[in-house]
Amino acid sequence: MSISWGRIGTVARREFLTTVRRKAFIFTLIGTPAYFAFVMWVSTVGEMGERSKVLEELSTVGVVDSSGLFASAQHEIRTEVSPDQGNMFARKVPEGAMPVQSFTTKIRFFPDQASAESTLRAREISQMVVVSEDYLQSGRLRRYARTSSLFSSADRRTVASWLASGLVRGRVDSLLAARVARPSDREQLFTLDKQGNFELKDDRRELLDFMLPFTFAMLLGVSIVLGGQYLLQGVAEEKESRILESLLCTVSAEELMAGKLFGLGSAGLLVVGIWSAIGAVVLGPVMMLAGVHLPAGLLLIALAYFLLGYLFYGSLMTGIGAITNNMREAQQFAVWFTFLNFAPFIMITFLLGRPGAPAAVALSMFPPTAAGAMMLRLTAPNSVVPFWQLGGSLVLLAAAAWLALMGSARIFRIGLLMYGKTPTLPEIVRWARQR
Amino acid sequence: MLEVREVLKRYDGRAVVNKVTFEVGRGEIFALLGPNGAGKTTLIRMITDILKPDEGSILLGGRPVTARERNEIAYLPEERGLYRRSKTIEMIAYYGELKGLAPKVAKEKALALLDRVELQDWALKPVQSLSKGMQQKVQLCTALIGEPKLLILDEPFTGLDPINTQMFEDILAERRNAGTTVLLSTHQMNKVEQLCDRALMMNRGHMVLYGTVRDIRKRHSDHAVMVRTASKIERVEGVRSVDVTNGETKLTLEGAATPQSVLRSLLDRGVVVESFAVANLPLEDIFVKVVREGLGLDQGESGPLVEEPEMSGAAR
Repeated sequence: MSISWGRIGTVARREFLTTVRRKAFIFTLIGTPAYFAFVMWVSTVGEMGERSKVLEELSTVGVVDSSGLFASAQHEIRTEVSPDQGNMFARKVPEGAMPVQSFTTKIRFFPDQASAESTLRAREISQMVVVSEDYLQSGRLRRYARTSSLFSSADRRTVASWLASGLVRGRVDSLLAARVARPSDREQLFTLDKQGNFELKDDRRELLDFMLPFTFAMLLGVSIVLGGQYLLQGVAEEKESRILESLLCTVSAEELMAGKLFGLGSAGLLVVGIWSAIGAVVLGPVMMLAGVHLPAGLLLIALAYFLLGYLFYGSLMTGIGAITNNMREAQQFAVWFTFLNFAPFIMITFLLGRPGAPAAVALSMFPPTAAGAMMLRLTAPNSVVPFWQLGGSLVLLAAAAWLALMGSARIFRIGLLMYGKTPTLPEIVRWARQR
Repeated sequence: MLEVREVLKRYDGRAVVNKVTFEVGRGEIFALLGPNGAGKTTLIRMITDILKPDEGSILLGGRPVTARERNEIAYLPEERGLYRRSKTIEMIAYYGELKGLAPKVAKEKALALLDRVELQDWALKPVQSLSKGMQQKVQLCTALIGEPKLLILDEPFTGLDPINTQMFEDILAERRNAGTTVLLSTHQMNKVEQLCDRALMMNRGHMVLYGTVRDIRKRHSDHAVMVRTASKIERVEGVRSVDVTNGETKLTLEGAATPQSVLRSLLDRGVVVESFAVANLPLEDIFVKVVREGLGLDQGESGPLVEEPEMSGAAR
């Protein structure tokens, strides 16, 4: 079989240009990050807004103290909400750049529950707390509110803090009372790092350290699927438009397939490249401030997984496009492979929590899930993946990609000219084995 | 130019092309005929190297068809297909580039071809905005841009109006004069009679007719002459029967009689002959007869089935 790289290049260029000029491509390119940015903005702003709203509405709390323990408690609670409580990037933002919100809640004592309740119903107080007579022994406490928020428990924390300080107020000095109310505000947690040393656990840094490679792994999965989808679409459309008969007289099936793999893979990679660039521009300064780093080795490994994963899935998608009669039929088959590619992300809790477990190792060795599973294992906190597992996973994926490429090339050659009937599995196997 | 030797292709144990042998010369327009399912498309796919024969060989210019030779072949299939969203000129130029032309040259040639088929104003329009006939002309341009040595056309005239049909015929004549070999597969027998030098007919994978169009028609004539005359013809020496239809008299000859001897007899009898011609069956009737009667199908896989041994020998 003699292959012309010139023809492969011509096919690749056409496939690439045709794809990137499509409106759907531009929409995917701009629409997807815009959508995610919008969702993130809405959820962050929404969460912050909800907390503020709850505290704002908590203007007065009525207290019915049957225990008498809170007679000398404060008649006012001050709660401050700093932006970093809701935004993982905010801690590194220079002080004063984002305002601290302050809320005041008044405490009003009632002699009995009935009078407090009627005041609550009349909306003169926001909530009411009924402290039982044996509170010290039993801890029984009832809180009444007209409504409760599904997304914020800021009111509960505020009341709990007041109860804690109220219990000790007058019995200990004010500093101790304040500390009792917020005992672990400045806690520092140290955990073992990959070298076996204890290091300060920085939740935000850790989240960023994870989020970045996770996003990277996700992008890898998306780019593999995008390239594969473009391939599937291209082949199915060509089959539907019956252009292949004349095309195959000019270019061999192998050259056509290789050209498509290169051209459409590049289109998929371009999307991810642009998304990454947008991410770097938007989030780069924050990540630099947070001291987040992405090791070069990890980038190289991700690149290897992208190439092999794309070759594997791209070949399979091309084969599917060739054996099906139209786009709808092709999609029905392809959805299963897309599901396999993203399966590791469904098991993310397991893979990050127990990256060394046999099932996690197996998932990272199994070619259809290898790329996603291994990237997650590599980025899991304090995870050390043995070299043989990494090498074995890459070798197995490379072998599977090669087999998929060879099999699909044969299926592609025969399937392209078959119209009407979708072949049976034995027929597909026979085609794949045909020389 | 093209030599097909003992080519056999089986699907599921059944020979769909059965030891077919023929050759086509440079600058020849050669007809490939046969009913649906005869094996023509499979044979064309083997000639274009899309499929490999199980047995036999196919040579183009004396060499087996490989990637290099494939560059010299262009194929206009019966099932038309173009990239619908592409601009017309880009569509044609793409085929040119695949044939090895530089992008700039391909575009120039594409424009010249569009000019030839009178579609120059549509160069920058997407293919999907063209009518069916226009798309067919674009498809022909994609086949011609590589200046192929072998041009394979499968039902090229289907759906064309008389003006565009004439344009296609003119282009074929131009290509033929330039030395291009044309393999024409069609069911329009009048076009075969009009354009082709020789023909091969397949039925159920076998080759059942092969030779010049004239010879095929002659071989299948029913040994008769057509006479136009005002006189009444009754008994003529060497004539078996006389049938008059629409003012024309068909004289079916006896085995030993020849058209010349019958004409002489008519003149000797004082018949005023206005016109006299050997009655040949139209190719279409021969086609129907051969297929209906299953002529030439009884020799299994032993070799190509041709009606006259000397033709077969020549073909080999």
